Amino acid sequence: MTKRIRSKIARGSGELAILSLLAEERLYGFEIARQIGERTGGALQFTLASLYPLLYEMEKKGWVDGRWQPNQAGRDRRYYSLTAAGRRQLAPLRAEWKSFFVALDALAGVSHA
Amino acid sequence: MPDWNQIVRERLAAITLKIADREDVCAELAAHLEETYENSRAKGLPAQAAFERSMQEVDDWRALTREIRRTKSEDGLMNYRTKTLWLPALVTFLGASVSLMLCQFFGTQPRIVWVGHDAIWFYWPWLATLPIFGAVGACLSQRAQGPTAVRLAAGLSPALTMLTVMSLVLPFGVAIDGFHFFQLVSFGLGLVNWVAIPAFALLVGELPFLRSTT
Repeated sequence: MTKRIRSKIARGSGELAILSLLAEERLYGFEIARQIGERTGGALQFTLASLYPLLYEMEKKGWVDGRWQPNQAGRDRRYYSLTAAGRRQLAPLRAEWKSFFVALDALAGVSHA
Repeated sequence: MPDWNQIVRERLAAITLKIADREDVCAELAAHLEETYENSRAKGLPAQAAFERSMQEVDDWRALTREIRRTKSEDGLMNYRTKTLWLPALVTFLGASVSLMLCQFFGTQPRIVWVGHDAIWFYWPWLATLPIFGAVGACLSQRAQGPTAVRLAAGLSPALTMLTVMSLVLPFGVAIDGFHFFQLVSFGLGLVNWVAIPAFALLVGELPFLRSTT
């Protein structure tokens, strides 16, 4: 079982995680949190309290765009999609995290065996 | 099924955002909690356990309120407060003050009702202008999308200012002269003259602007 990553680290990686997911498809908040948890084997988990401030911050920066959409189940959902500015952020963020892991590996030997 | 909208609204009551933004945030967070709850129920959790599981999504609502306020407000908290409260309150206060000065400058006399040695006085020309200033304050706050309580406070600012001043003066009076019953009577009449009656006049003007708009 994957050990859950402590919240500060998870939060730091949150922007990259959300941008990566939204690069594939439009998603609403609950589904973003669910997919992050599922696809990281539970290592990264976002609660409501950690997810939405981050989404709103990214929306304010113009990286994502949230729009309400009616839902046949009866509950409207606010779907987020990646903007052009958000798409431009993705590559540098990935590169930044890659450099970070390389550096951390050199220092503390944290890469996969 | 818990009323998630109500739960979120109560816990985010202190959030100061534009009305439309606040509604959006409450609806979105309520939908998230509702889906968390339904998900837990679908996995076989009893209702109470599912409710508790949903509530664990937020361990500090006040911190979340601050975070959302910071991220959602377009121009920062101070500017929003300035537009919805401080500026309308200042306009109302200045308007009411200038109106009182003009009444005195032109020598209009108040109608005085004596209560023992103290008086309740009605400055009718001045009081007649207060609904206008109350309306201006509430209207400015409404245009900046201030919530109802903020609109109310903005329009009542002259009365609230006097209430604050008098509340500060009373302890000094007691400290200097000692406590006398007639001080309380004078204070009470002062409240009527400078707070209650003007507040009522201001409120009359504010009323059309206190209804919630989305």
